Order: sequence, then C-alpha cells, then structure tokens
Amino acid sequence: MMHLFTQFLLALFATLGFAVIFRVPARHIPACVVVGALGWITYLLTDYSLGSPVMGCFFGACMVGLCSIIAARLFKEAMTIFVIPGILCLVPGAKIFYTMEAFLRSDIEDMAEVGIQTLMMAGAIAMGLLVMGAIIKVFWALVHKTVSIKDKL
Amino acid sequence: MLAMRAGNIMMKSGAEIYRVEDTIERICKSCGIEYVNVFATPTGIFVSTDNDEASNTVTYIKRIRSSETDLTKISRVNQFSRTFTTSDMTVEEGDKILDDIENSKPYPFLVRALSAAMVTGCFSVIFGGGAMDFCVAVIVGLMCYLISRFLEKYEINFFIRGFCCCAFAAFCSLLAAASISGVSYAPVISGCIMLFVPGIPITNSIRDFLSGNMLSGVARLTEACIISVSLAAGAGVIIKLWYMLGGITL
Repeated sequence: MMHLFTQFLLALFATLGFAVIFRVPARHIPACVVVGALGWITYLLTDYSLGSPVMGCFFGACMVGLCSIIAARLFKEAMTIFVIPGILCLVPGAKIFYTMEAFLRSDIEDMAEVGIQTLMMAGAIAMGLLVMGAIIKVFWALVHKTVSIKDKL
Repeated sequence: MLAMRAGNIMMKSGAEIYRVEDTIERICKSCGIEYVNVFATPTGIFVSTDNDEASNTVTYIKRIRSSETDLTKISRVNQFSRTFTTSDMTVEEGDKILDDIENSKPYPFLVRALSAAMVTGCFSVIFGGGAMDFCVAVIVGLMCYLISRFLEKYEINFFIRGFCCCAFAAFCSLLAAASISGVSYAPVISGCIMLFVPGIPITNSIRDFLSGNMLSGVARLTEACIISVSLAAGAGVIIKLWYMLGGITL
C-alpha cells in the first residue's frame, strides 16, 4: 500500500513535469496531473494482478483516455491537452533501454523478448486509446438516439 | 488568410490533423465561403476555396517547418475558432488575436528546466532507483534538457538531438556510477530516456488513424520509431564504448 502511494506521488510529479514542458494551460495542470497518476496506478495494479505489463499498458491507456474525455467535457477543452502528458508515463522508456542493453550483450534471445514486449506495450497503449475513443463515440451516439426517441414520444 | 494562420499555429503546436482541418473549415464557412476543401499533413496544409463558379477557385499552400509542442496554443486557437464562428468578429480582429496567441511565451526557462529535472528524477525512482539515483538523475536530466535546448537553437534535427542527449545522459550516469557508490546507471539512463520519449507522435498518430488520416498517421508513427531508435542508439554507443574501455561489465 505504501509502495503504491509513493508510486502515485512519483507519477504525479513526473506528469507535472511533462505538463510544464508541454505548456498545458496553468488552470488545467491539476486535472492533467491526476489523469497521469491514475493511468500509472491502473498500469501497476493490472500488472500486479495479471502479471502482464502489456495488459497493464492497455488498461492504463483506457484509464487515461476515459479520464481525459471526462476532463475535456468538464472543462470544455480539447482532449489532447489531457491525453498527451497523461500517456507519457505509460510509454515503455525503460524497456527501450533494456532492449538496447540486451543488444549490446549480443544476447539476441533476450533482446527479441524485451523488444517484442516493448512493441506490444506501445501497441497496447494505442489499442487502449482507440478502444476508449470508439466506446465514447458509440456511447454518445446511443445517448443522442435515446434523447431523440424520448423527444418523439 | 486567417484560417490558414490558425491551422498553421495548431499544426506547429502538435494538434491532430482532424482538429486542424475542422478548425480551418469552420473559420472559412463562417466567413461565408461555401466550398472549402482542406488537406492537412504534419508538414503542410492545402486549402482550396471556391465562391460560386468553378473558375473562382483559390488554393493556398502552407509549408510547415519546425514544431514545438505547446498545448496552450492549441487550446487558445480552439477557443478562438469557437468565438470567431459564433460571434461576428471581423477578420482584422481575428488576425490580432492570432498574433497574440502566436507570440505568447512558454513557461519561464528555469521552470521548464527544473520540471525536466523532476521528470527524470521521478522516473529513475519508478524504474527501481534509490535516493542517490534520484539525485544523480535530477542533475543529469537538468543538463540534458539544457543541451537539448542548446542544440535546438542551432536547428539541429530531432534525430541527432535525441542521439546527443541520450549519449550525454549515458556518459554522465556511467561516470556517476563509477565514482559514487550506491548509484546504478540503468535507472538513471532510463529516466533520461523518458524525457525524450516520443509520446506526442504516438498519441497523435493513433488519433489520426482513428479519424481516417492514414498519411499523417503513418508519418507520425515513423517519426516515433525513428526517435526511439535514436535514443537507444545514443545511449547504446556510449555504454558500448565504456565497456570496451573496461569500465563496466555488461
């Protein structure tokens, strides 16, 4: 629990850093930071319970997508502002490094394993955002439809 | 032309294609131009407008060079297009607002450099570093960011920039690991890589694919791949050299 809390704080500050570098408007920084930290925590929890960083990335990206859609609706802003700093925590930077390290050791087997995992994590992030985008589109379409049906009745 | 400038600012600041095309189209429509076709890519925008007859077609091409992510600009242009289309603002007034947006300054340099240091520090701990690693990563991250800014001033492309910064980060962290006990180089280098990781091209390319802009989706995906390779290569070359000189065992 303590470990999770420190990780949450670290992700919070890391996202804060990204938010400043990419110049998120000052009034949206808190929301942005929370989106990033929640995404990272979701990643950690999924990673612990399922034992797969790829699934972790997928659900983390879903979480970031969902939170930023909510934030974008709430503040009437472009969704990009929340997604970009939030997703950066999930990008497998350390895996890139370990792939390269395995390559230097001329340990091809290890390199292939970590490399494929890196690619799959990047793909999972893409999938997560994609699925969230699709779900939200269908959701709004359904909402509009029910509203129009109600109006007819 | 006003719509073109709005699109240009947005694309430079790292917006998705869909948003740029939509903004340009809306602004043109609100000016009373009925027929508008926009085709945007990360390196150029093409707009073709037509008043009534086919002979009146006017085409604008805008080449986009150099980009720096600035989410505030995206947000402000977004709001500007909304107010422009709903109110009866003149083109001159709109131009003035866009001037203002284009010249707005990012956060102070010191703040950005410190936040870059914070990013690397936090990530080095997330990737399994200790307190000493945190301190080293903060210093290395700060220097990396300064170098990246310095190279950017001389308009050196992103590939070489990523390579140099990561090479420098690897060198510093290996030096620190060799001279200070309790510092390991792996978390520090990973933390520094995170600072330059291509998060924006990845996110934007997915969203471009989603909205059916295959061309820019592929372009940005390739950009992301090239950046990651350059980062890994930069760190890799230095580690290999260090190893060949007998500093560490892999």
